[in-house]
Amino acid sequence: MTSNALLKVTDLNVSYNKLHVLFNASIEVNKGEVVVIVGRNGAAKTTFFRTIAGFLKQDSGTILFKGKDIGNLPAYDIAISGLKYIHQDKHVFADLSVKENLELGSYATKDYNWDRVLEHFPKLKTLMDRKGGNLSGGERQMLLMAQSLLGTPDLILMDEPTEGLAPHFIDDLKAAFKKISQETTMMIIEQNLPLTAEVADRVYAMKEGKVVAEITEKKEIQALTFEKYL
Amino acid sequence: MFELYLTAVIFGLTISGILFLVSVGICIGFGLMRIVNMEQMVYYTFGAYMTYALVSSTGSFLLGLLCGTLVAAGSGYIVETQLLRRVYGKELMFTMVVTFSVFMIGIGLIQYIFGLSSKPVGMPFKVIVTIMGANVPLYRVIVFIISITVYFLIDMFLNKTIFGRAIRAGIENPDQVQGLGINIRRIFTITFVVASGLAGFGGVLNAPLVGVTPYMGFEMLLFAFITVILGGLGSLKGTLVSALIMGQVVSVGGTIYGPLAFVGPFIVMFIVILFRPTGLYGVKGRAFGFEEE
Amino acid sequence: MDKSFLSYIRGPIVMIALLVAARYLFPNKMTFLFEVSTFGIYIIANDILYGYMGMVSFGQPFYLGIGAYTSAIYLAHIGHNIFVAIGLAIIMGLLAGLLFGPAYIRLRGDYFALINAATCAMGLFMVEKILYPITNGDDGLWYRSRFHETPFLDLRKPADVFWFTMIVLFLVLVFYTWLDRSTLGAGLRGIKASESKMKFLGYDTFKLRWTGFTIMTILASLAGSLYAINYGFVNPSITEPARAAEVLVATLLGGGGVYGPIFGTLAFMGIKDFVSSFMDRWELAVGVLTIIVCFKFKGGVWGTLQTIGAKFKTGKAKPADAVSGENAG
Repeated sequence: MTSNALLKVTDLNVSYNKLHVLFNASIEVNKGEVVVIVGRNGAAKTTFFRTIAGFLKQDSGTILFKGKDIGNLPAYDIAISGLKYIHQDKHVFADLSVKENLELGSYATKDYNWDRVLEHFPKLKTLMDRKGGNLSGGERQMLLMAQSLLGTPDLILMDEPTEGLAPHFIDDLKAAFKKISQETTMMIIEQNLPLTAEVADRVYAMKEGKVVAEITEKKEIQALTFEKYL
Repeated sequence: MFELYLTAVIFGLTISGILFLVSVGICIGFGLMRIVNMEQMVYYTFGAYMTYALVSSTGSFLLGLLCGTLVAAGSGYIVETQLLRRVYGKELMFTMVVTFSVFMIGIGLIQYIFGLSSKPVGMPFKVIVTIMGANVPLYRVIVFIISITVYFLIDMFLNKTIFGRAIRAGIENPDQVQGLGINIRRIFTITFVVASGLAGFGGVLNAPLVGVTPYMGFEMLLFAFITVILGGLGSLKGTLVSALIMGQVVSVGGTIYGPLAFVGPFIVMFIVILFRPTGLYGVKGRAFGFEEE
Repeated sequence: MDKSFLSYIRGPIVMIALLVAARYLFPNKMTFLFEVSTFGIYIIANDILYGYMGMVSFGQPFYLGIGAYTSAIYLAHIGHNIFVAIGLAIIMGLLAGLLFGPAYIRLRGDYFALINAATCAMGLFMVEKILYPITNGDDGLWYRSRFHETPFLDLRKPADVFWFTMIVLFLVLVFYTWLDRSTLGAGLRGIKASESKMKFLGYDTFKLRWTGFTIMTILASLAGSLYAINYGFVNPSITEPARAAEVLVATLLGGGGVYGPIFGTLAFMGIKDFVSSFMDRWELAVGVLTIIVCFKFKGGVWGTLQTIGAKFKTGKAKPADAVSGENAG
């Protein structure tokens, strides 16, 4: 069975401290899409993302990225191969400046073309020498996205990027999402349903460790009909 | 009287220097790899024994220094790539027992090759200098100066090079360093090899001062742990400062009342653990080793 | 699960019977078997910390030393009655647990391990230097000639001490079997699995830990006392921090469960005994073995025996299977 999907996850099972948390999860992400995963707390969305990104080991199931099995690769190899994961806790290296944070991203990817990246986040240009620890939540999210865009990844996984952010940052980020989605495929975990409706091409709903629904109709997404699955 | 204490202070500085060198690996093991690195003192012991072997066979201390450091770094490389890689991320007890077993194997090897008895190592030079009336062997002063130089070199490396920044970032959040696509295993290995080389270097420098015995690592292990706790997790600066304090506790304390040389450090550790678990320069919330569950 | 009285003593009886049989099969190994039994109690104590609560201590020799020195000091300076000496050791173990417990058990794992090492080092210093007038420092205390005869078993004779040790070990094993099935045991294991969940369920985890810690100190102290009585002599080497490693290795070799500690001790002492017959020191062999156990036999000796036992199960299960603990690994 061949598939042209950029990311194809089949029957993924994951346990956490001997507790089975993710059950037979299967999804596909095609190139150019923005896929949003919705679900309540405890639906194992983050576990799902962390497993795809290589931070957790699956019990069974396959993860194909660009047709290659990445299920057994260490996280850094997955990142280098073009799949970046932005963690929910919005952690940037507190001890390093914005510039040094970006330098680390460049060191890993050998991509020093900052202009292309910072074009999406003009605000960061004014903060280059500030320490990561002194940034606001929105600024940190911007820095993380900028960092992950280095090396022109094929797919970015974002875990609740807008959680806990001030409304004006959410607007900024929304604009950035739209621009970035022109060049990169994105998969996002999002609790903010109106935002989801606006950016998503396709939605997967998760509940209690299972993928319970896939919504492909743009109309249905905009009408937020997937709420019934949560 | 003044000269006596001044001598004690200078002797203490030498002890601090050695303590700092051998503690770097434990400090970084906690900070970067999140393991309890009980086997660091194997490299210290190896370094000291290589010096003993080469000084007694060739008479060249420099050769001993070179080989001791290289053997220590080499054994660090083997242990890290063959064993510790399988240990990262496992529970605390597991890392302790595995690394302690490596420590025991190392001691066993030393006993097998060199026997049980302790052996003296000749001083590379016997010049005595007089500092403000106190007579001190020049070698001790040089050991301290070398250790401080090593600290500044490491500090520069961590702050000025991209690789050093990656290490600092790894101490803060290893997952995220990986997420950027940085090969964290390579960082672990290189850092570990350097750290074990430093422990071996410490062993080399200490060999002429204390001689060598197969169990020399045990006592040093406890003292090094105390130094790292007092300094705070993953903080090299903290390790240096606490090494300076510990040196004086051992040396000046021991001059005032003999037994303090052995018990003093434990009293310090007792107080620190009970009242300031983060140590002097520790990061709040992630005191030592592992995060709160 | 079978909760009858018989089920509590069946396993321990088999265990003791095996040890006694071994004593008559290999008469010249009596000292070895005595050491296995005593050390076994000591390892059971440590297993309550590690196997149940998931805590590691680098200072176990200190608690052993409390018992040994309490009995020794009593016998050398104050009285002559061996049973009183053992009783005092148990009381001192209890006091140590009650006293150190509240301060130590609130510490996280790594600190707990190290503060115990510090305590142990200070204990060594106490008996070596500060209490010199009472303990004789490095020269040790000798008091066998001061023993009074005891009824039933004459504890002045090694052969009778062996029998006495068997009785004590039997009682400890029965207690340990009970603990394995009791609410207390379950509570302690719960702490290892998830302390926050236990708190959420309404358990006072502080008290649970304190209880576990105190049981540990009492048992370790009892083991120390048995040492002191068998040898009629103690010196500070019993509390050396360096010997803390033996405890950890033996516990790990055993691998939890009610009989894990005894099998761990047997394996550890056996290897030590065997290796030291052709090698000066045993560190190398024990180190290699521990690493093999760590990576290949996660359940330890006892866990592996159970797995093998399950494979060859032929209808009649070994009695020990019925009481296997869940705290292996």
